[in-house]
Amino acid sequence: MAEEIKRPVRSVQMNERSAGSFRRAAWAVFRKDVRSELRTRYALNALAVFALTVVLVVSFYLGPRLSPRDPVTPATNATLLWIALFFSALTGLGRAFIQEEEAQTATFLRLNAPPLAVFVGKWLLNMLLLAGLSIVVTVLLSLFMNVRIANLAMFALTLALGSLGLSTTITLIAAIIAKASARSALFAVLAFPVVFPMLVIAITATEQALTGALWSAALPQIQGLGAYAVAMTAAAIFLFPYVWEV
Amino acid sequence: MTERLQPIATAAKWLVTLWMLLVVIAMFVWVPAYEGLGNTGRIIMVHVPTAWLSTFAFAIAAWYSLMFLRRRDARDDDRALAATELGFLFSILATVTGSMFAKVIWGSYWNWEPRETSILILLLIYGAYFALRSAIEDAERRRQLAAVYALFAFATAPLLTFVVPRLYDTTLHPNCAFLPGSKCNGITLKQNGVGALGDRRVQLLDVQRSGDTVTANVEVSGVGFSNVTTLQPTLNVATGERVTPEFPESRFMLALQSVDDQGVRLNIQAPGNTSQRGNARTTTTLMASLLGFTGLFFWVYNLRTTLLRLRRRVELQGLA
Repeated sequence: MAEEIKRPVRSVQMNERSAGSFRRAAWAVFRKDVRSELRTRYALNALAVFALTVVLVVSFYLGPRLSPRDPVTPATNATLLWIALFFSALTGLGRAFIQEEEAQTATFLRLNAPPLAVFVGKWLLNMLLLAGLSIVVTVLLSLFMNVRIANLAMFALTLALGSLGLSTTITLIAAIIAKASARSALFAVLAFPVVFPMLVIAITATEQALTGALWSAALPQIQGLGAYAVAMTAAAIFLFPYVWEV
Repeated sequence: MTERLQPIATAAKWLVTLWMLLVVIAMFVWVPAYEGLGNTGRIIMVHVPTAWLSTFAFAIAAWYSLMFLRRRDARDDDRALAATELGFLFSILATVTGSMFAKVIWGSYWNWEPRETSILILLLIYGAYFALRSAIEDAERRRQLAAVYALFAFATAPLLTFVVPRLYDTTLHPNCAFLPGSKCNGITLKQNGVGALGDRRVQLLDVQRSGDTVTANVEVSGVGFSNVTTLQPTLNVATGERVTPEFPESRFMLALQSVDDQGVRLNIQAPGNTSQRGNARTTTTLMASLLGFTGLFFWVYNLRTTLLRLRRRVELQGLA
């Protein structure tokens, strides 16, 4: 009898303790990755150089030819922005799990942190890097392509929701390819079909933000981006433990 | 498969073969040529079933991937792989037949139209799945990661089927659900009545009748009263013959569907959007073709699953 009364109490304590330890574990993974990133600056260099290259190459030729009044200009800039974001993310953010496999630290991490804590920690770093990258690409575009943003709040929301979906997808795919051979080639092949629907919506929403469309007109796109982020996050939370355990 | 089921399976194979033979004959001989499309329209007898099966295979692959993650039974992985391979084959067939039709009727092989975009993504997903499988040496790891990827890609399916097509109102496929604001039945207008078809505003100016031919004078305009034009769709009440003029700067056409004392019924249609409801032979053949292709799908699917299981056994024995 006494056992039965005690058991739920103990399990509640366990849950509280495990929730706290989950947060601590995720935060520890995040801090470890930030520290190792600051030491090597692998992702930072890859992201910055790739973004700069894309913007420079395009602006060199298209910059002088695109007039701000040309109706095609916002569409071109929106596409360019997402090309720079997507491909820089592919170059820089795949490192998260590959590095663990190459340094053979994955087993150690597996023993010391629950799977989801690892995912959340890596995802936080990727989210942080993508947020920084979004700002850098936006600044580069305004400098070199003379981009004017008519609706800044909508632009920021689009970038935030898009980065959210992108970082979730990229983190899970990075975990998959870390276990395969021919990683860099495989990364784009696996990520592109999954990200493509979101890219289509994000480019449309970005163009609307650049031209200053009304919120009511952009609402379906914003909802679509939100839906994508939610669907991908739910799928990733469910699927990541299966990737991590093999 | 047990010995007892073998005769039934053999009979089913012969039935599918005979059935498909009849479908192919019906498709060229029994089905009448399409109004405005001629013989080109016959391709939908292959196009629609293959397109539907390519999506169906994607769902089967996702289901058995989920089952694999739950049960860790290698047979589930065989089923997921067989479904993916067939899905890939059928989506190529659907894309090629669709492109042929698009070239003849819409003028170019590829139009970046929502359904074309989503089948392209489906092809890329299938391709990525095979690329992933070939990049992992260890069998157990390969099965598990392939299952994860199939499910992850499947999570984008609602977005591909519902969200992306709705963002773009230019669909060439005959599906009224994809034209925002339009109904399959069109709209009924009296003189000076105003209505919306898709994102176009239409106003019935007047109706003229000479003999059996009814002509409607309809003022149409795009968003914000752009491209205001008067179109004159006609309908021959006796023969059912129609003249369907195109909306300005678009491939959509305005059709006068019927005339009665309630007014005239107008509808928007894409080129090649002929109603199948009116033709029993077309509907029957299309349904028969759908059934036949589904039978064919399960036949090859079973064959492939069996082969994959045998290959696993041979590999195991080779190792032992």
